[in-house]
Amino acid sequence: MANKTPKRGILMFAHNNQEINYLQLAALNALLAQKNLGITADQVTIVTDRASYDYCETVMERELAAACTNYVFTDTDVAFKHQNTRLFKDTQHTPKVLPFYNINRCDAYDLSPYEETIMVDADYLILSDALNNCWGHNNELMMNWEYADVMHGRKFPELSRLNPLGITMYWATVVYFRKTPEVETFFNCVKHVKNNREYYSDLYKFNNSVYRNDYSFSIAAHTWGGHTDKAVPQLPVTLYKTFDNDDIYKMQDECLYLYLEKPRSPGDFMLTKWEGIDIHIMNKWALGRISGNILKFAEQKTVVKQTECVIKRKDEVVV
Amino acid sequence: MSAKLTKALEFANYRVTMNNQQAKLRAKTQGLLTYSINGGSFKIDRTLITFCKALLDDGTDVAVLLDVYDNPILVEIKDFYDEILSRYFEVTNDYYLEYEKIRKSRKTHKVLDLNSDGE
Repeated sequence: MANKTPKRGILMFAHNNQEINYLQLAALNALLAQKNLGITADQVTIVTDRASYDYCETVMERELAAACTNYVFTDTDVAFKHQNTRLFKDTQHTPKVLPFYNINRCDAYDLSPYEETIMVDADYLILSDALNNCWGHNNELMMNWEYADVMHGRKFPELSRLNPLGITMYWATVVYFRKTPEVETFFNCVKHVKNNREYYSDLYKFNNSVYRNDYSFSIAAHTWGGHTDKAVPQLPVTLYKTFDNDDIYKMQDECLYLYLEKPRSPGDFMLTKWEGIDIHIMNKWALGRISGNILKFAEQKTVVKQTECVIKRKDEVVV
Repeated sequence: MSAKLTKALEFANYRVTMNNQQAKLRAKTQGLLTYSINGGSFKIDRTLITFCKALLDDGTDVAVLLDVYDNPILVEIKDFYDEILSRYFEVTNDYYLEYEKIRKSRKTHKVLDLNSDGE
């Protein structure tokens, strides 16, 4: 029987905690990916757990079915879930400590059914076809070490290295990989770092109070690249981020209106219109509040895709 | 606070918003000017277009170009040139239209394409 698994696909991990419905975010993002990347539901795989799925099924059964045809269920490591907590914020006015269940991202290579995979965070909204630039790439593994803040002028120096004198920090938010023996060794390296956190936190001097995939992927990239700085190439896509101090005003069609906290003026926001660029939204509650609009937009039929626009020459500009 | 100062602060807010919108527009344009082919990624700019045109004029059909990672990529120049040229104009024309719209807006809500009620 012929193997009907698509060669290329998107992989997301979504494990709910008591406040954040990650699976809902992943499903919405899967619908956005289908719309903007031109992929089908069988080209999306979501790794989740039975409890998250059962809850989500009660509130959005139809969307779950439309979003993805390949749900992978994993057992929950309850001890890890209780132990690995971090501060989440719905702007700085509402901070909450909640479980951060991210233990199985290192299994992406084993769990992905595709030859080429783009692994994205559930809260990385795919609002353009830019990720299509990754397919068929010569680089078998790509991830960003650079990021761009949506708010011009904010600086977060602690996000560029594991410690002020440490190695470069890569972002595990978006990772492209092809199934090759070499990439398999990379993910084995990530697993090794995850399983030996104490040792590696001493060696690389990072804060080990919360397990972060960014750290284990960074150390693995540093090791895998021959202990060379920035050895793993970046994606041909800039990683744009908002932070959990920011909020979302509304989503109107494809436009996202963001409240961005002003630098040097905490609690004061500036409005920004964002459209046509993929973006990592750290404020999960804000995403939840506009989930209805995301769904509405994702389900709208695309009239003209960006790459299929009629060619316009210089003399055809209409002001 | 005097009316003059209030107006100055309103204008400062407008300037920050406008600068941020322009930066976002540039970012969008840069993203759309990335073109991937044959396993490589290229940044479409005037240098690349001019270089390809020179190769075409020289009668070159196939050539190795260095992509953004400085990896050598074999491309068919004619098709490649046509593609990057059309993308370049398509993207920069849209950039021009959106830029002009922002530039001509003199109120914060107009820069953001909203009415005065924020709708």
